Amino acid sequence: MRALLAIVLLCGCANLRVVPLPPEAEKHRPKTEDGWELSLVRYRPVGPVTGRPVLLCHGISANERNMDLDEGHSMARWLASQGREAWTMSLRATGASDGPDASKGRNLPIRFDHYWQHDLPTAINHVRKVSGADAIDYAGHSMGGMIVYAYLSQGGQGLHAVATMGSPTRLDWGTGLEQLIRTFGPTLANENVMLPSQFGAALTAPLQATFDDGPFQRFFYNPQSTLPETWQRLVLYGTADTAGGAAKQLLSLVETSRFTSADGTRDFRADMAKITTPVIVVAAKLDRVAPTPAVKDGYRSLGGPKRWLLITRANGTLGEYGHMDLVIGERAPDEVFRPVLDFFNQHEQPPRKN
Amino acid sequence: MIGCLAILLAASPELTVSHRRVMTPDAISLAVYRYERPGAKVAPPVVLVPDVGFTRAAYDFEGRGLARSLAESGRTVFVAELRGQGKSGPGVSLEAMARDLDVVLDALEVQQVDLVVHGWAGSVVLAVNAEDPRIRRVIALDTPLLAEVPSTLAENFLLDGGRFSTLASSPAGAHAFELLFSMWSKFPTGTDRGFLATGTRDLSKPVAAELLAWMRSGDLPLASGSVVQRLTNWKKPTLLLVGLADGFASPELCAVWRERAGGSVKLRSFSRLETREDFSHLSLLLGSNAPAIVFPLVHDFLSRETP
Repeated sequence: MRALLAIVLLCGCANLRVVPLPPEAEKHRPKTEDGWELSLVRYRPVGPVTGRPVLLCHGISANERNMDLDEGHSMARWLASQGREAWTMSLRATGASDGPDASKGRNLPIRFDHYWQHDLPTAINHVRKVSGADAIDYAGHSMGGMIVYAYLSQGGQGLHAVATMGSPTRLDWGTGLEQLIRTFGPTLANENVMLPSQFGAALTAPLQATFDDGPFQRFFYNPQSTLPETWQRLVLYGTADTAGGAAKQLLSLVETSRFTSADGTRDFRADMAKITTPVIVVAAKLDRVAPTPAVKDGYRSLGGPKRWLLITRANGTLGEYGHMDLVIGERAPDEVFRPVLDFFNQHEQPPRKN
Repeated sequence: MIGCLAILLAASPELTVSHRRVMTPDAISLAVYRYERPGAKVAPPVVLVPDVGFTRAAYDFEGRGLARSLAESGRTVFVAELRGQGKSGPGVSLEAMARDLDVVLDALEVQQVDLVVHGWAGSVVLAVNAEDPRIRRVIALDTPLLAEVPSTLAENFLLDGGRFSTLASSPAGAHAFELLFSMWSKFPTGTDRGFLATGTRDLSKPVAAELLAWMRSGDLPLASGSVVQRLTNWKKPTLLLVGLADGFASPELCAVWRERAGGSVKLRSFSRLETREDFSHLSLLLGSNAPAIVFPLVHDFLSRETP
């Protein structure tokens, strides 16, 4: 049995490799006001500039490579090819950003609040400063969209138009999984640890495309839209350890259906009604992480202007999409990125220089 | 000898299905089907209403379905095809269709019933009959509170008059049916195609237009209030079952009812993540795993005492 497992792993590993960033990827490391260096990668626009810079942010247990996996699966490089300066970012303790280091004052817990209060403003201000744009566009996947909801709902500035993709604002939809999360979530989500999701993902990456309709397919992606080998690469180098503090804070989406600050004093969902930044909310019909009612809840909470985009064959896509297909799907450039860019362009005015 | 006795004891008494017609005051003939197993009855009876464009087959297709399942458990079951549904007379208005439930309950002479509704018909049936004291508990399957501009495919289907017969006549139509009603679900062999051929009925043009207008405007005005108003004030104990892959009555339009109704509506949703099967509009009722996953929740909810 061990030999069989070893053979399977070796066979899988043979086809798996980290695809490095291309030479044109420009690396930046702005520092948050509380002392964490963040990894940002800049792609300059190819050809004439067509609009503002766009900042891209990944979800939980992920890093900047979610939005920039390789040449054929990169929202960042696609936007650059369309004349937009594009930036990816890794939140603290993910990707090439600083990790926890008590000797340097970078301590756990890392909560969701750190992301929207420190990391996102740092990245936005850095992009504005480097590009000279007074306001930029933003696209967030999953928790990357929730972060911008929190940021804007609390008066965050510097964003012109926003896209959220598969971003829930509550997760109590009466599934059997909820009971498991309620039971085991509080124990697993220890604020003072980093959950080893990257290690687990990398270890199992060779196996993850082996089983048709296995748990990873059912949870994360749809083979109608993403090739298994693409998924494997994402698992290999697009994942990150999960901050227990962030996981614990987000448990409230299931436990109490509330989307709030860790101390409960800020109700992001209620405050989203104050948001006046244009937002396109993208949902995938077969997203089982952030089901469409969970994403629609955020859409309904927004003040507006806003647009709802449901990715499904019934609306013309060639395949159904799951959670990760929205950013790594083989046809995502045409079926997701294009309508997002169209939305940005609709709200475009010539960017002013600072 | 002992073996023969065991077989006799184990065999359930024969389920009987009978049919009657009920005439509405405006002379529309309605088809009502009664499912019953001889022996002790579990009160109250259950009345099942199909969605627009569906027939009794939504609850009883080729000898299986929720109607038979409930009857096997000792409930007396009635499947009521309201005007425009199944073998009932023509229907040109959703509200008129919903008012037929009152006529059916009068004809059945029941003091109390549990009600099972499905889809868009379910929304308007519940809204119109919200104050009917005879309705004790409700099972709502993919029943929207809100409406919104439908998918391109659903819009085209309704612009074409909601003709299931057209869908049944071509591979492209069958594909459209799959996306709207049975997407990513598992069925016993041939169920979805067979149901399209025999379990549906074309909408009338006025009903197709009314349904599309409802979706586009976000609400359906009624003689008194609207669907959103009346379902927001909903008070009856209700279990809302939602298939997260439903392409016709989108889950985001249904699930929000739990929040808006303020406590009377319990929500249970289904996806492949936990059940190994996605559930859509049709598979909540006729999917391979519906008897094991969906029906027990229905039985359990309807067997509870109402406080």
